[in-house]
Amino acid sequence: MRDSREKWTRVRIRMIGCLFVFFFAITSARAFYLQVVKKEQLLKLAEKQHQKIVPLTPARGAIYDRNNAALAVSIEMDSCYAEPRNIENIPETAARMAPLLGMTREAFEKKLAGSKNFVWLQRRCPPELVEKIRALDIDGIGFVKETKRFYPNAEMAGHVLGFTGLDPAGLEGVELKYDATILGSTGYLVTERDALGRDVALKGTVVTKASKGHNVILTLDKNIQYIAEKELAKAVEESRARGGMALVMEPQTGKVLAMANYPAFNPNSFAKYAPQVLRNRVIVDSFEPGSTFKVFLIAGALEEQVISPRDAFNCENGSYSIGGRTIHDTHKYGRLTVGEILKYSSNIGAAKIGSRLGAKRLDSYLRKFGFGEKSGIDLPGEVSGYLRDRSQWFGVDLATISFGQGVSATAMQLATAVSAVANGGQLMKPYLVEKISDENGNVLQEFAPQARGQVISPEVAKTVTKMMEGVAAEGGTGTNAAVEGYQVAGKTGTAQKVDPITHGYSVDKRTASFIGFVPADNPRLTIFVVVDEPKTSPYGGVVAAPAFSAIALQSLCYLKVPPDGNVRRKPAPVEEKAPTPADVSVAAAEGTFDTGGEGTVMPDFRGMSMRQVLRAMEKKGLNVKLIGSGRAVEQNPSGGRLIGPTDQVWVRFAPAA
Amino acid sequence: MIDRRLFTNFDWTLFGFIFLISAIGVLNIYSAATPYKVVGTPYFLKQIYWILTGLLLIVTVCGIDYHVLEDISYWLYGLVLLLLCVVLVAGKTSMGATRWLRLGFITLQPSEPMKIVIIITFARYFNRVPIFQGLRLRDLVYPLMLLGAPALLIMKQPDLGTAILVVLIACSMMLFVGIRWSTFVSVGLAAIPLCYGGWRFVLRDYQKNRILNFLNPERDPLGSGYHLIQSKIAVGSGGLFGKGFIHGTQSQLRFLPEQHTDFAFSVFAEEWGFAGCLVVLLLYLFLVLWGLHIASRCNDRFGSLLAVGVTAMLCWHIVINMGMVIGLFPVVGVPLPLFSYGGTSMVTSMVGAGILLNISMRRFMF
Repeated sequence: MRDSREKWTRVRIRMIGCLFVFFFAITSARAFYLQVVKKEQLLKLAEKQHQKIVPLTPARGAIYDRNNAALAVSIEMDSCYAEPRNIENIPETAARMAPLLGMTREAFEKKLAGSKNFVWLQRRCPPELVEKIRALDIDGIGFVKETKRFYPNAEMAGHVLGFTGLDPAGLEGVELKYDATILGSTGYLVTERDALGRDVALKGTVVTKASKGHNVILTLDKNIQYIAEKELAKAVEESRARGGMALVMEPQTGKVLAMANYPAFNPNSFAKYAPQVLRNRVIVDSFEPGSTFKVFLIAGALEEQVISPRDAFNCENGSYSIGGRTIHDTHKYGRLTVGEILKYSSNIGAAKIGSRLGAKRLDSYLRKFGFGEKSGIDLPGEVSGYLRDRSQWFGVDLATISFGQGVSATAMQLATAVSAVANGGQLMKPYLVEKISDENGNVLQEFAPQARGQVISPEVAKTVTKMMEGVAAEGGTGTNAAVEGYQVAGKTGTAQKVDPITHGYSVDKRTASFIGFVPADNPRLTIFVVVDEPKTSPYGGVVAAPAFSAIALQSLCYLKVPPDGNVRRKPAPVEEKAPTPADVSVAAAEGTFDTGGEGTVMPDFRGMSMRQVLRAMEKKGLNVKLIGSGRAVEQNPSGGRLIGPTDQVWVRFAPAA
Repeated sequence: MIDRRLFTNFDWTLFGFIFLISAIGVLNIYSAATPYKVVGTPYFLKQIYWILTGLLLIVTVCGIDYHVLEDISYWLYGLVLLLLCVVLVAGKTSMGATRWLRLGFITLQPSEPMKIVIIITFARYFNRVPIFQGLRLRDLVYPLMLLGAPALLIMKQPDLGTAILVVLIACSMMLFVGIRWSTFVSVGLAAIPLCYGGWRFVLRDYQKNRILNFLNPERDPLGSGYHLIQSKIAVGSGGLFGKGFIHGTQSQLRFLPEQHTDFAFSVFAEEWGFAGCLVVLLLYLFLVLWGLHIASRCNDRFGSLLAVGVTAMLCWHIVINMGMVIGLFPVVGVPLPLFSYGGTSMVTSMVGAGILLNISMRRFMF
């Protein structure tokens, strides 16, 4: 009896034991399920709970010139933040911090109030400030590295580089055009936070490393850019002009070596400048090219063989009636050969060549030279200039267009077109970005020169070059452009400006320019200098040609181009033909820009939201085509310009970064 | 009185396991309490004091022959039942529950000793009542009355966890004694209306919520479901080998509730992973099986019943606590014996362990 009961007890104990083992097995299985099977999912949940993510300013790649000299870099700076919940005594902290940050204690406390765990106090603080705040050693105030765009050369090439906003999106220039390339991906500050939302252990936080963005290597040469800017400034200041532009290109490739605007601006503090100063007028402003246009007229006429270099034209002693209007030359000329027409810049001669070539063919050649369409330069906001549709050419138009009136072009277009003459007739697409490289300098993409078409034959190009050499030679209008030791081929330009008020030709405002290339027989550089509204003399040969000469000489020396011993400088300036008031009346009567009454000035919409643009349009009674969405990034015509009746008026928007 | 054989027969294995688990517990409390602001003695140190107190209790309990317990069992039962009644009338209320009695400078929680007392009482009862073919329904009347009074009093406090434990311990002991199948079926049938009634009239809203939230934790992820979800996340994110000592993000950043007490094992699971869990689980399993081993090799029925009861108490604590931590059971405030921080739980566990050692070392004394 006792035995069986004991046995019975043992069985029951074993049963209970099995029950307990079963429970433990289930518990283990469940632990296995959670910790092994569902681990990833639960780990993610855990991370989501205790990590708070603060986006940081993405770094931008650098911009270099073609010799890898830095033009735009991103430097690391400390951004100061506060974690209000980790600050023990907010009023006391405010009392110590607010004066350093230049805010009132109330404003500081307000910033920290509320349930926020993370507040930026000041992003990208100057080092002295960082030092001072660090010295206070307040819990809950910390720093994280962020980048700031810095342009080490200050004003140099500012218009080409553009600038970036506070969020590091590019707003202008290369910075804008190549924003997607340069802009790195956003980095994140990952802070751990506990169940109450307090950020903890921020000192040891991880910044998930953002990629830095690619570097852009420009075709620009810092030294040539410097030379161009220096000489342009000198030319503008000496002639007391309103402004100016200079452009240096490689005619064979279309590479832009220098692009300068005067006045310049410092992209490090672009906000201090008026909007019109920030505009890269080389591409966003078109102007009447004036006599420089004769080069393309003669090139077309020679190509079509309607004239030959030996042909001579009667220049009517400086006064020639055509289509009921009278065209004047500065000097009274009799018979001039084609080369002489260019050399002395005879409008009458040009008009006669134009009539021989005919409107259809002139129009066709001008378009082949790239007028009326964008050059395709890799910069934002380029305009295509104004070349009227041929069906709209009336009366005297053929004559005036022949010497560059009634059309408008950008400096970029003109330099590109002249480069086509220089390189044997090929129109190149100008470009600024040569290479794109990654953080470690590995080249990711390289841009090759692109031809846009053969405009004239190499022989004709050679002939025109020879004629252009005459311009800088003894007795030409551009003798000031001559360079000691190098043969210059070029052309002066002096164009009347359209008065923004009367919308007719201005009595005294001129655009004086000189365009050309050196050395003429094997061109290395196409150089274009434009001086806007010079006060001393209106002539391109006087105000622009010396700058051309200086830029050419210094650049050629810098490039170690050997001088040609046969060429000597022969300075004997001759006044160029400038339009006289008589011309003005002709042009005005003709209504080259035939707006009825006063024109409307295009506001600068850039940076505005679509709503703001619409409101401004309403106020001005403008009918503007809106493209895209986001913030206005590009517009035509550019801000401050008069809107012509045939202008396509549009504003392009891009989503804010 | 103290026989030399008592030392030679001392169950060092059981003692060693108890010590080992307690030590791991201290280590874990050290980590779990790291994020807390230190006020006075740190938790792990206090836990060490409690363990030392517990060891003293073990020695004391071992010093008294467990057969004495049989004689004073009803006196003990009466005393603790009385204390439970006093609690209802004059207890200290904290966090919506009246569980504590203030006796001078000590605060006593009478429901805790009830766990031990019910074991002793049942052991004595079933030792005296001869049962041959298992318990019939009418054999249950008296034990259920013995059980019902304290269980209802504890439920009334309210302290669902302890009440369930007391009931489970008693049921385990009855199971050990033997229950007829017919009794099973009858009780099962009776349980259905009882459960319904209990749900409608006895359970408090927060208790109902706990059960509902257990069934669907997403019902209230920030409220009562929060504990379950957080614990699951902590345990699961530990993975196979854990995040390392004091490196559990969920515990160190205080996402876990009650992480040094009821959810101490979550911290452990997060920081030591599945491997660590398995080690602790095996330690506990061994402890439980060793308890049953003591019960089976004990020569008298009272001792066996006592050992089974104590083992069941430990086991149910473990199962319910771990089940809660890993989301198998609803959240009921049941600590993990020897592992969770807390004096009361430590004292109860150590007294239980003392009884087991007591039975173990006196197995040859007849």
